[in-house]
Amino acid sequence: MIDPFIQAALLMTTPILLAAIGGLVNRIGGLVNIGLESMMLAGALVAVEVSAATGSVIAALAAAALIGGLIGLSMSLVVTRLQANEIIVGLGFSVAVAGLVRFVLKSAYGVSGTFNPPGVAMLPRINIPFVSDIPVLGAILSGQDGLTWFAWAMVPATAFLLHRTRAGLRLRATGAAEATVRAVGLSPLSIRDASTVFAGAMAGLAGAHLSIGVVGLFNEGITGGRGFIALAAFYFGRSAPWRTALGALLFGLFDAAQIRLQGHGAPAELVQMLPYLIVIIVLTGLGLADRSRVSERALS
Amino acid sequence: MMDRARVAIRLGARKVTRRFGPVVANDQIDLAVAPGTIHAIVGGNGAGKSTLMRILQGVDQPDEGSVILDDAPVRLTGPADAFARGIGMVHQEFMLAPNLTLLENLILAREPVGRGGLIDWRVAQAEADRLAALAGVALDWRVKVADAPVHQRQILEILRLLYRGADVLILDEPTAVLAPAQVTELIALMRRLKAEGRTILFISHKLDEVMSVADVITVIRVGRVVATTTPAQTDKAQLAQLMVGEAVAMAKVAPYSRPPGAPLFSARGLVARDGRGLKRLGPIDLDIFAGEIVGIAGVAGNGQDELVASAAGLGAIAEGAISFGGRDFTRAPASRFRAAGISYLSADRSEEGLCLTASISDNFIAGREQESPFSRGGFLRLKMINAGAENALAKLSVRYGRLTDAVRSLSGGNQQRVAIARELERGPRLLVAAQPTRGVDIVGIAFIHEQIAAFRDRGGAVLLVSEELEEILTLSDRIVGLYGGQVTGQLLRSEASVEKVGRLMLGQKAA
Repeated sequence: MIDPFIQAALLMTTPILLAAIGGLVNRIGGLVNIGLESMMLAGALVAVEVSAATGSVIAALAAAALIGGLIGLSMSLVVTRLQANEIIVGLGFSVAVAGLVRFVLKSAYGVSGTFNPPGVAMLPRINIPFVSDIPVLGAILSGQDGLTWFAWAMVPATAFLLHRTRAGLRLRATGAAEATVRAVGLSPLSIRDASTVFAGAMAGLAGAHLSIGVVGLFNEGITGGRGFIALAAFYFGRSAPWRTALGALLFGLFDAAQIRLQGHGAPAELVQMLPYLIVIIVLTGLGLADRSRVSERALS
Repeated sequence: MMDRARVAIRLGARKVTRRFGPVVANDQIDLAVAPGTIHAIVGGNGAGKSTLMRILQGVDQPDEGSVILDDAPVRLTGPADAFARGIGMVHQEFMLAPNLTLLENLILAREPVGRGGLIDWRVAQAEADRLAALAGVALDWRVKVADAPVHQRQILEILRLLYRGADVLILDEPTAVLAPAQVTELIALMRRLKAEGRTILFISHKLDEVMSVADVITVIRVGRVVATTTPAQTDKAQLAQLMVGEAVAMAKVAPYSRPPGAPLFSARGLVARDGRGLKRLGPIDLDIFAGEIVGIAGVAGNGQDELVASAAGLGAIAEGAISFGGRDFTRAPASRFRAAGISYLSADRSEEGLCLTASISDNFIAGREQESPFSRGGFLRLKMINAGAENALAKLSVRYGRLTDAVRSLSGGNQQRVAIARELERGPRLLVAAQPTRGVDIVGIAFIHEQIAAFRDRGGAVLLVSEELEEILTLSDRIVGLYGGQVTGQLLRSEASVEKVGRLMLGQKAA
């Protein structure tokens, strides 16, 4: 009873977590990536195309990361080199890519809305013998796909790399003190661009997880605003990887709960809205709690 | 560094001229900084120091003449190029990442990397300790820059230049943010660096420091070198005269007698917090009488900002009470403070004191736009506004083109005069003056001091907050020391000296 629920929650968490880690790194580098949704959507479509064409999951993932990274790079260049507003550009990319995807579906495949080619290779689930028989723990550890493992491995890895490597140190400096980074002879804009490419690649993988990890086809509404939920997750996480993961997990839990509720005759459209609503409520509540904690510390 | 000791000019300029339209910012400037010396450049606002520094850093190119490095003319392409040739600069605005620790800032861009591409923190720490020992300072390298005091940040900037291999250090007004004891420390550090063979170009307008530390002094006025001398050949008075080109009239000191009656402004148990909710001030008691200037001496960040905000009615006070003219003003809105006759001269001219993009006349009536004679029936009366502004600005000798020009087009000193004109013209009873002469040259400073003293002589009360110790000593009738948000003591002007006030600023007893 509880095991399928845990499995579903983790499955729904993965794409949010992947995109949120990317967005977190991007934000530390000084760019708030509103365009994650667009990179996710493109990654989802390209993963289905490449998976159907080649039958290779690896090739599909690489292609999804690549398209995400490319969109990230072009978005970053518009923001860093042309000094455009990152919010406007991010929203613009989200709208433009959605339109482009619709166009590609129509002109290349002659379909609208859903693209379901034959022969899509799905992300394999990794079953761990013996562990899978243990209740709860088995549901958590066994039967997950490789991207889920990768997403969770990225949480401590990101924390470690940010503090222990050259690139991490320079990235942290770039987001907080661009002029300083320039003064010591580095190029803050290039560092920022690199972080956006990383965010794009992570969001591309997140899209691939939705299309070839969960449903096995592409639908133009497949991302369902998850790029924006990822944004909420790393804001909630205050750019700390573990807290960001917690934010992503929160959404995954409610998304899984929502799917369960639908099976019990509740109106689907209303129920589908629930995870988003609850995330907003929880984030607001936690934000308020943080605020009162800060002022308590100030008073003492 | 050995062969460099043999050159005559490590860093310099030969006949450097730089024009901006009709303005000649640098006019045939010659500069010769010998290796292993401390060379000071002094000059007032607009003398052309900043332009010269930009040229020496390669940020700007001269129209004529050239930069000299190791006796040879060079063309610098930018700060990175200058740095590659051993020239590093510490700007007034520190170039540090506030979210990183001191150690992380030190190694940024030159991180020692060990196994697996990871930063080798042990090597980094050893290098940091070596530099700190060399500089004779103790730093807590694990503290974030945002939490480190200003003088430590400055030392970090200097050490970072050494870490990255600079042998010529350009220090732009390095003592502007320091307390007297910290100035002494910095000067000792400069001497140690010189003994080590490094070369220092030191920009300052504090003549005491220049006289004590420099080997050679170059004086610049309106873009020209007017003298190159040594401390042995000159004195402070002569330097000051060279800087301004005329004898500077110091504000007159009137004998102080405590004004009779009850205090005009009174704070009791005042506690104030900063924007993040941290307690920065108090609890303190403070009285200001009509007809006196109370100077607050303290190093930046010791509660002055919160005191100013409380006295001007801008910040909600956390605890305590404020009364003005015998009436309670605790938690009164800023509009009531102003209506009661409290004027406020902001330290932040560009953000709070003035609206730089608005016209001179608009700035002049800001806050008085509903008063007669400037407005009638909800409409502004431009004739009256212009007449009032012209009259007030003439009194303060403001140099401007037209009243419709943006305030941005004025020099810093003239902008400040516009702000003063607005705040004094409304006939206040208390003037809260924060850093009233920041970024103003010597002539302008003397003039502003006269205005503040004249306001006091007319019976006005003044709360003066300044990081310039000299300003506090020149103007104040009473000096109150502020350290860590607490009043550390009080001195009448007759009792005050640099050393005594300096001790108050560092939280020690005056005696």
